[in-house]
Amino acid sequence: MKSYQIKKSLMNLTPLFGLAALFALFLLIGSSQDINIGYGLKSIINQSVVVAVVATGAIFIYTLGSFDISLGASVAVSALIGGIVYNRTESILAMLLVCIGIAVFIGLFNSVLASVFNLPVFVTTIAMLSVLNALVLVLIKVNGTGSEIAVPAAAVRPLNNTPFKIMVLAVFFFLSLFIFSFTGVGRMQKFQGGNPICAKLSGISEKKMAVIAFAMSGIGVGLGAFLSIIYAPTLTRNTASSVGMDVIIAIVFGGMPVSGGARSRIYAAVIGAFSMTLLSQIMVMFNLNSGIGQMVKAAIFILVVFLATSDQRSRMLPR
Amino acid sequence: MGKEIIVEVKSMDKRFGSTIALKDVSIKVCRGEILGLIGENGSGKSTVTSIISGMQRADRGEMFFKGEKWNPPSMLYALENGIGMIVQENGTVPEITVAENIFLGETKRFKSFGSKEHRWGVVKRKEMIKKAQEALDGIGASYIKAQQITSSLDMQNRKLIEIARIMAKKPEVLVVDETTTALSQIGRDIIYKIMEQMKKENKAVIFISHDLDEIMNVCDTLTVLRDGRIIVTFDKEEFNEEQIKTSMIGREMQGDYYRSDYDGSFKEEVVMELLNASLGTQLKNLNLQIHKGEILGVGGLSHCGMHTLGKVLFGAEKLHSGKVLIRGRELKNETDAMKEQIGYAAKDRDIESLCLNASIRDNIAIGGLDKFAVNRFLILPDREKRYVQEQATNLNIKCTDIGQYVSALSGGNKQKVVFGKWIGRKSEILILDCPTRGVDIGVKQAMYQLMYQMKKEGKSIVIISEEMTELIGMSDRLIVMKDGEIKKEFERSQSLCEADIIKYMI
Repeated sequence: MKSYQIKKSLMNLTPLFGLAALFALFLLIGSSQDINIGYGLKSIINQSVVVAVVATGAIFIYTLGSFDISLGASVAVSALIGGIVYNRTESILAMLLVCIGIAVFIGLFNSVLASVFNLPVFVTTIAMLSVLNALVLVLIKVNGTGSEIAVPAAAVRPLNNTPFKIMVLAVFFFLSLFIFSFTGVGRMQKFQGGNPICAKLSGISEKKMAVIAFAMSGIGVGLGAFLSIIYAPTLTRNTASSVGMDVIIAIVFGGMPVSGGARSRIYAAVIGAFSMTLLSQIMVMFNLNSGIGQMVKAAIFILVVFLATSDQRSRMLPR
Repeated sequence: MGKEIIVEVKSMDKRFGSTIALKDVSIKVCRGEILGLIGENGSGKSTVTSIISGMQRADRGEMFFKGEKWNPPSMLYALENGIGMIVQENGTVPEITVAENIFLGETKRFKSFGSKEHRWGVVKRKEMIKKAQEALDGIGASYIKAQQITSSLDMQNRKLIEIARIMAKKPEVLVVDETTTALSQIGRDIIYKIMEQMKKENKAVIFISHDLDEIMNVCDTLTVLRDGRIIVTFDKEEFNEEQIKTSMIGREMQGDYYRSDYDGSFKEEVVMELLNASLGTQLKNLNLQIHKGEILGVGGLSHCGMHTLGKVLFGAEKLHSGKVLIRGRELKNETDAMKEQIGYAAKDRDIESLCLNASIRDNIAIGGLDKFAVNRFLILPDREKRYVQEQATNLNIKCTDIGQYVSALSGGNKQKVVFGKWIGRKSEILILDCPTRGVDIGVKQAMYQLMYQMKKEGKSIVIISEEMTELIGMSDRLIVMKDGEIKKEFERSQSLCEADIIKYMI
């Protein structure tokens, strides 16, 4: 293999090296401070898995060079409606299907709305964010106690374990990876994000691609909502409130180009979500108060993105 | 010779990854001279001039400009200090005004607080537009208005904006990198005039073109590059077409350049038909039939509507009235065209035909998903690689591997990727808009032979071109367009010449 290709491959793997380094640092500090590593890891998985699942689906939207700002609110609404359905049916399966169904519906509504009004999709997601936030309040008021909707903890306890959560993430990750890397749809998504004009002249339907991307994202949001209920069955207006921003950070942190296109990587979501949580844990272990911790996180975030994209920035003009 | 050397390059090397772009290249450019650089795609012509113009740095070697060491850190620096380059790719920002493009990076010139020039001041737009218009007038492109949004202009006019931007700086050395291929005769004349003027003013021009006739007419000396090395330099009196071609490709050209027959026959079967097609001023009630096994040439001036016609035939532009029929059925859109085995190579290659930040594999494979994917769905990496590799090998695409980004390829190799995309999927009808723009003669010959082979296989080809020789050399039937209408139709004939066509174009 030529040195150029090795360098290129190493550049692509920068986010993975970042994750490995953070993991090693976590183990090192954890063992030096006599922290229960197993418990710590479990906590990291619990915190990361919802963001990882939602971000994995969202990669499809980012690949198109677009983004969805309403993902967090969409998780909350899906979880609330899923919770209401469980309380009426006492069926976990119904709850899961409703979570996914509602999330996919919201995603498709976004893309169809954008198509009808001929607007960039992210514009409709901004509007959707307000609608969904309002819906959260209405759902809690009408169907809950006024401040929460609670699913009985005993009902979801059997699923509230690390292997199950990892399994949900793994199944969705590999499904997404398959679609992304081994099907024509995945190729078309990347091409659409890379050059929409050329994609159109290659017979790729922009609307169809947007619908597929939002449907995949919807599945991720639905699974994220389901996992949120399992982890914290008492649903309030704060449920998944930070998920939207965490997803954006995780995707970029994982080395995904914000402009989308051919360089998009499905694993960026998972790597980014776990890296982000590990980094937060390490900050806690260093006893950095949250203010300083946030600043250190921000600095590391910029450093990782800088390294991950340095190959693109340093490349010379097309020749 | 006794002429003063204005630019000198000594022993320059440049690599892109594992690709050697330049190896021990030395060039001298004298005052009052137009130096031509010629060579196959990827031979290093653009690389050496881009280094002289500050676009990138050499790995090794020295440069001198007016006797001083020359190592420009940027194109802007080079331009400010006397060397300007008109690039092959698009060099304008679409969504800003023409004036803003002309003074890109220099708006501070027009900033002021009150009457005083100040970097934190407000841009005096009226003054900027006035100066920009002067720059446009100066190159003879007064019809372009400085306050227009750049994206509303076509490729040729956008190129003229770049030329105005460069010439407003009054460079002492002008590099023209395969620019003329993007221009119609009007645009070409503007550039030739500028080059002649520079020569008269004892300045210098480095001119890159694949058009041998053009380069032999215009240049005083001609340097041939091959595989990143200087092969030979000819003085004007030594210019010999065959010798230049042989130096370029490293062997004598074998076989025909265009097709050699004058049998313009094709099958009776009509594969595609345009019925009363109208689209604003671009197409006016056009009726046209394309037959099986026919090469149809479409010629005219840049704005005659022929480029729009290409898009319409691929379903990429909606007609205001009339219809496009494909084997008797109405064509709806691009997806429909793909299903009907129509392929379309657009004129604006970098924007419309390629995804530059994707690999050769991605660009070729996207056209053939229905060919190599299992049930048009599942992609098996091995099958995909074989499919793409076959096109890359057949078309002799110069690259490190098929994973290389298209943005790193030379113009001709990019065009080969576009060809690979459509030929790989065995298109039955190919619409080729300026197919050999920026392509060297070796590749051109291969492309012409490929088109002829496709014709013999019963495929139909529409060549839209501003190069009359290409149309005469390849077409069974040639239509000339003007103002959105077909003004004349010619059958293939040995006696047909450029003058016959041009009188219907203008």
